[in-house]
Amino acid sequence: MEALGLRDDMGDKSAVAAQNSLQLIAFSIGEQTYGVEITTVREIRAWNGATPLPNTREFVRGVINLRGTIVPIFDLRARFGDGQTSPTKNHVVVVMSVGDKWVGILVDAVSDILTVSRDDIHNVPEGNSIDTELLNGIVTHDSRMVGLIDLHAVVSGAKMDA
Amino acid sequence: MSDLDDFKATYFDECSELLTELEEQFAAIEAGERDADRLNAVFRAIHSIKGGAGAFGFQALVGFAHAYETLLDYVRDGRIELVDDVVVLCIRANDIVADHVKAAQTGEPLPADYGMEEKERFDALARGERAGSDDEDEGGEPLDEFDIEFVPVMVNLDAEAPATTSDDAVEDTFDAPPMQVEPGHWEIRFTPHRALYARANDPLLLFRELAVLGEMHVRALVEEIPPLADFEPFAVYCSWEITLVSPTLTEEMIREVFEFVEGDCDIAIAQLGAGVPLDAAPIVAAPVAPVARAVAKEPEPADLLALADDEVASLLDFDTGPVAFAAEPEPAPVSVQDSFEEPPALSFAELAETIQPSPVAKPPAAVTPLKAATPAAAASEGEESSGGGRSVGVQSIRVDLDKVDRVVNMVGELVITQSMLTQQMDETLRARYTELVRGLEVLAQTTRGLQDSVMAIRAQPVKSVFSRMPRLVRELATKTNKKIKLETIGENTEIDKTVIEQLSDPLTHMVRNSADHGIESPEKRLARGKPETGTIRLSAEQAGGNILIIVEDDGGGINRERVLQVARDKGVVAPDVNPTDEQIDQLIFAPGFSTASEVSDLSGRGVGMDVVLSNIKKIGGSVHVRSWTGKGTRMTLRLPLTLAVLDVMLVKVGGSPYVVPLSSIVETIQCSRASFERVPSGGQVLQVRGEYVQVIDLAQRFEMVTDTDADNRFVVLCEAEGSAKVALIVDDIIGQQQVVIKSLEENFERVEGIAGGTILGDGNVALIVDVQGLKTTIVHKNAA
Repeated sequence: MEALGLRDDMGDKSAVAAQNSLQLIAFSIGEQTYGVEITTVREIRAWNGATPLPNTREFVRGVINLRGTIVPIFDLRARFGDGQTSPTKNHVVVVMSVGDKWVGILVDAVSDILTVSRDDIHNVPEGNSIDTELLNGIVTHDSRMVGLIDLHAVVSGAKMDA
Repeated sequence: MSDLDDFKATYFDECSELLTELEEQFAAIEAGERDADRLNAVFRAIHSIKGGAGAFGFQALVGFAHAYETLLDYVRDGRIELVDDVVVLCIRANDIVADHVKAAQTGEPLPADYGMEEKERFDALARGERAGSDDEDEGGEPLDEFDIEFVPVMVNLDAEAPATTSDDAVEDTFDAPPMQVEPGHWEIRFTPHRALYARANDPLLLFRELAVLGEMHVRALVEEIPPLADFEPFAVYCSWEITLVSPTLTEEMIREVFEFVEGDCDIAIAQLGAGVPLDAAPIVAAPVAPVARAVAKEPEPADLLALADDEVASLLDFDTGPVAFAAEPEPAPVSVQDSFEEPPALSFAELAETIQPSPVAKPPAAVTPLKAATPAAAASEGEESSGGGRSVGVQSIRVDLDKVDRVVNMVGELVITQSMLTQQMDETLRARYTELVRGLEVLAQTTRGLQDSVMAIRAQPVKSVFSRMPRLVRELATKTNKKIKLETIGENTEIDKTVIEQLSDPLTHMVRNSADHGIESPEKRLARGKPETGTIRLSAEQAGGNILIIVEDDGGGINRERVLQVARDKGVVAPDVNPTDEQIDQLIFAPGFSTASEVSDLSGRGVGMDVVLSNIKKIGGSVHVRSWTGKGTRMTLRLPLTLAVLDVMLVKVGGSPYVVPLSSIVETIQCSRASFERVPSGGQVLQVRGEYVQVIDLAQRFEMVTDTDADNRFVVLCEAEGSAKVALIVDDIIGQQQVVIKSLEENFERVEGIAGGTILGDGNVALIVDVQGLKTTIVHKNAA
């Protein structure tokens, strides 16, 4: 099950902080680029369908079988309120660990691995609650804006009544 | 000494097994099977408990067990007749022994006078029979050999002049090695007194402890044993000469072993060849060691049998003994070689065979005079040895459950992989690769076999739970002043261990309920023309993929008026609803429900039966109750055979795979043939054989789009809790299969209407429909 040697939990930022730099996996949703810390990523796989889960919000795309374990897939576009993605074989699921759980995030494509300085992380401008809720911060890379995803916020509130 | 804790744990394990056996034996004895075998088994069990307790210093337990054992001994001899009173007393005594064991285990002391009353009754009974002869303590002792399962060899000594022959044999084997002893060896002469046995000490235990110190060789001195006719029951005739070989051994270490029996025996300890430097003899010592080991092991043939498991190691060890010996025959004592009828290079089996009939047996020899002390018992000994022989055949090992579970899980994955492979075989492949197809078929068969075998490892007879019930019923009967008889049927039915563990509490509640609420008082029973003694029948049977556990009583049945009244008072049932009799019966499982007007010590706190329901639900089972007024009540538990694998029906809803547990499915009907009726709410009900059943359209319920024609869809009629039915409408039925249950919560959270997930042969995830959950959420929604 444990194929990757990446055992660092996302909460453990001390090692990264010491270098004062952050490695991100950047992925795109439409024209936008977002990123998550590379240490939380477990694997990246092509979209291959998921079994829909009833009684859940629209951004829960269902569950997949990850080598014998059932992992839920969240549609990031739907989570941002832009409607469900219509996934093709070219879409990508980024499997990450959030706390002690593994989840998959459905995105359009994985674009890059970025190294940014912690000092370059900007606060999310106040205004839209979705932005401040789901993003931890914003960095600029090649004059593009990269939103840092708050995974805990993304996966919460999956139930219908939430 | 953490070792001691290990031993203690083992001892308590054994105790619980022995106590279970006691319950079984007495159940049979109570039923009238009062033969010697049963008594011997009881005696052995008590004796083993006592022996261990003595070793660990559980004085209260030893004291009680000893008095009990004495009584049993007299019963066995026929000196005390096994009348019903005595049986009742014995059963009570078993409970007390169990309490003592528990007290010893938990370290919570019992009241000092606990069991005293019974103990006095034993003593009184025993005294009555003994005509005041020997001192009391020795009463139970003559049978100390019970620890030692290799008694059989000694039965031969019943012959006229036995001592000489066996003596010769003993000497043949043992004379030489002591003579050969090299410097650095210790010789111990151990002569126990009567008191040693009276205090429940066992020379064998001492010897075992000694054996830890070094290479040991024991010789029994049996010359003192008189002809059979002259035996005095409680006299000690036997003593031992022990040789211990170890370079680091000191006299103090040896003394320490005998510390607890000091004063009850004579011990002479002498060092042979003192002063000779140890390192002067390495060359000689090497060959001697195997010889000593070979010899030391030989006198314990029964150990090889009784402890069948350590035996692999011990036998292998043994095997090397003679071989090493053959390689360097020079220092070998001739007499030792004689004792092996076959020369050294024996096979494992041959060795075992040669050893078994050998008259060389140290501890049995010790025991001979004692055994003969109770001639009546001696006769039964023969049977006992055959009994011991039988258990020899049962070989078992204790394995950590985790390890078994790991295997179970892996086999589960294997089953899935195998079915995935089979599904990949399309017609073209089948035609082209016939060998592959054949191989897959064999694989399927083997996998299935493997799965069954693994499941069998986890399966255990329900006996372990059932055997706790007799005591419960006895106590309940006493407390409620009722007369209750417990019958058990099918206790060898096997269920998964986890299910068994979860079964104990619910079953206790159910039996308690039957005894407390079901069975009437003797007066009432007589007035109703029933036998004074009520019967609770506990039975287990396998029915398809389920195990049925049935608790029946011949009591008054459920008082439906009262149940309904209470249910209405407590708001469990709305005032305008008129449930059927059967529905009323099920009400006893409703949370917070209890009809007992006064909360009794036993049951009636209203927490009992709903606990039963939730526990049983937790392990995927169901409970059903039926009652006949004035005649009795029957509660049926339906449990899955195993928890690891679920038999399911695979269905499709809105293009996604779902599985429905097969155990809950009653039947499937094509929608075009089913008769639906409209109800005012706009919903549908299904009419099946005159019954109207709630309909849940899964596609609708799960908010999925379906493009299947209404007529081509299927009704899956399921049975939810109690026998309430619910009709699920699905798009298609694909087939039956076995699946391994996976948790959704591990990486996600609980989802309404879904009991979990599973991975199908094609690698996709299918969701398990939670039939009961669906039904309750609907009810909930309607109410809201």
